[in-house]
Amino acid sequence: MKLIEALEIVKRPVADAAPGTKVFLACGFTPLHLQTFLAAHFRELHPEVRLEIKTGRFGDLMGNIERLNPSEIDAVAVLMEWSDLDPRLGIRTLGGWRPADLADIVESAGKSGMRMQRAITGVSQQVPAVVCMPTLPLPPMFPTRPIQAGALESQLHRIVSSAAEYLSQVPGVRVANPQLLAEMSAPADRYDVKADLTTGLPYTLGHASTVGAVLAELIQNRPAPKGLITDLDDTLWAGIVGDDGIDGISWDLDHHTHLHGLYQQFLSSLAGAGVLVAVASRNDAALVERAFERKDLLLSKNDIFPLEIHWSRKSESLRRILGIWNIGADAVVFVDDNPMEVAEVKAAFPEMECRLFPKGDYHGIWKFLRDLRDAFGKPLVTKEDALRLQSIRDAGAWRNEGGAVESNSDEFLKSAEACITLDYGQSTDDARAFELVNKTNQFNLNGKRFTESEWRNFFRDPASFMLTASYRDKYGPLGTIAVVAGKMHGRNAQLHTWVMSCRAFSRRIEYQCLKYLFENLGADEINFDYQATARNGPMQEFLTELLEAPPASGVSLKRDEFFARSPALFHRVEVTVRA
Amino acid sequence: MPEQEDRLIRCFASVFPGLTPEEIRQTNSESMGIWDSLSTVTLAAVIEEEFNLEIDPDVLPQLNSFDAFRTYLDRMSSAQR
Repeated sequence: MKLIEALEIVKRPVADAAPGTKVFLACGFTPLHLQTFLAAHFRELHPEVRLEIKTGRFGDLMGNIERLNPSEIDAVAVLMEWSDLDPRLGIRTLGGWRPADLADIVESAGKSGMRMQRAITGVSQQVPAVVCMPTLPLPPMFPTRPIQAGALESQLHRIVSSAAEYLSQVPGVRVANPQLLAEMSAPADRYDVKADLTTGLPYTLGHASTVGAVLAELIQNRPAPKGLITDLDDTLWAGIVGDDGIDGISWDLDHHTHLHGLYQQFLSSLAGAGVLVAVASRNDAALVERAFERKDLLLSKNDIFPLEIHWSRKSESLRRILGIWNIGADAVVFVDDNPMEVAEVKAAFPEMECRLFPKGDYHGIWKFLRDLRDAFGKPLVTKEDALRLQSIRDAGAWRNEGGAVESNSDEFLKSAEACITLDYGQSTDDARAFELVNKTNQFNLNGKRFTESEWRNFFRDPASFMLTASYRDKYGPLGTIAVVAGKMHGRNAQLHTWVMSCRAFSRRIEYQCLKYLFENLGADEINFDYQATARNGPMQEFLTELLEAPPASGVSLKRDEFFARSPALFHRVEVTVRA
Repeated sequence: MPEQEDRLIRCFASVFPGLTPEEIRQTNSESMGIWDSLSTVTLAAVIEEEFNLEIDPDVLPQLNSFDAFRTYLDRMSSAQR
């Protein structure tokens, strides 16, 4: 992006009612054009959000972070450069580069690095922090030739690497990937000596644009798709199993079909991180069954559910898979090597991302896998991610044995040996709860989504509470599947947010959550911040049944009404109360 | 060089939004309260990038009007020819 384009983007009007986001850009240099680029890239990503960028004092990155008042901002972007660790690592001060000075510079940089680490960790307890480690080259201050890495120079790199490693494991901190930065902005083209000395911004315009783009991407997490549906022939493996036979299909170096092995390995990695993987293939089911018996497949059949193998249209297979997964087409990526199949699916599901598998394209596979990783990447893998696929399989067993809506009978529920674990408190570092609130559509009180800072701010109120529910029964565990967030006003509970995973329907878990609020919190009445959305039909149905009338905004439920209308509950309930 | 002048007007418009092309042609740092040192640095950076040139920091204080920038660009173009 050129600076003139950035300036033009930034001055585009935003609706008065647009939600605002305040970001503190913490750096030790003059942010100048970097601030413009950050605002422009953010606007491109979030045209509906009004971004306000605050900046600190020149030459005092540490102080800027330590003086920060997190309650005034929604996120902090920290841009560290070498001179922030010790001014002698920049060229604006003339503190001396004699060999005798260098050990002191390294020692001072080490202390600064630790202090910076602590300061960022502290801030991240309250607002999300995005961190970019030094991007500029070290000055020619070492006695070795620039082509040769000296010990002290290596120590400086280790200081930065250690800080990055530490910070990348802190919840609430997202560290910019230096490898990606290097791809987007060549290291040799980053430093502008003239600008550093005349304006105090050490970045070339190109580099400032890249750093602005990376920060804008990292400031707001975007929801990842939930599932991937793949074709088999010439996609998961090379060859047509129906023509080439079980032993004729391949995914190895010897057959020059290694790209398919990479794809299998990648899908296995996605499955391990909780992404749902299914197969839709126009094929002979018996043959495919035998192909999946091959021991050298890198994607286990256990990682795939369901497999739609028949000769019907792909779009029909996808419709069935979406039904079994119980998710929308916009949360799924479809991959096939056949442009016609891709077009047919895209026509049936315009909101679905459909990708052509880059068969035989060595350069294309790299970009293809990178794009998929970019789409499916998530800050951390939770234990619920490992449970997701199994619980969907278990849901099949649940339905088959009588747990579907109409057979939601007392007898069946009693025999399920269900246990609900309720966790009550104000914990804001529950990543699973935050994820559920921001991705659940169907059983959702009002569709409200939260940014990380909004979520944390909500729990700053001493009256606020969060109740999460985990579930398991003899068919398997579902993990944490429900979140209730609200505020207690005397004996009145105000529910601001209530979501439950669609995997947990028909088990009366929602009744158990309300029962806890009435019985354990001592609520006499519960008020619901209900709002109808295009997709929260299951919540509407539940409230209609409970309230004996279609719900409206601000509906409430009294204790005696709840106990009179609640069906019998057979769960064993375990409760954890956090301070 | 009308094309060069149009590009220069676009550069000014990006830094001083809301001005008409005619107003931009009349612009100078003394008549415009919002033309401060930050605007000068931003304008110089935009023009350097747009016209692929490097403005000498010693010359920058004299580039205090649209006319001054236009003349500077004309001189640079002639020198390149």
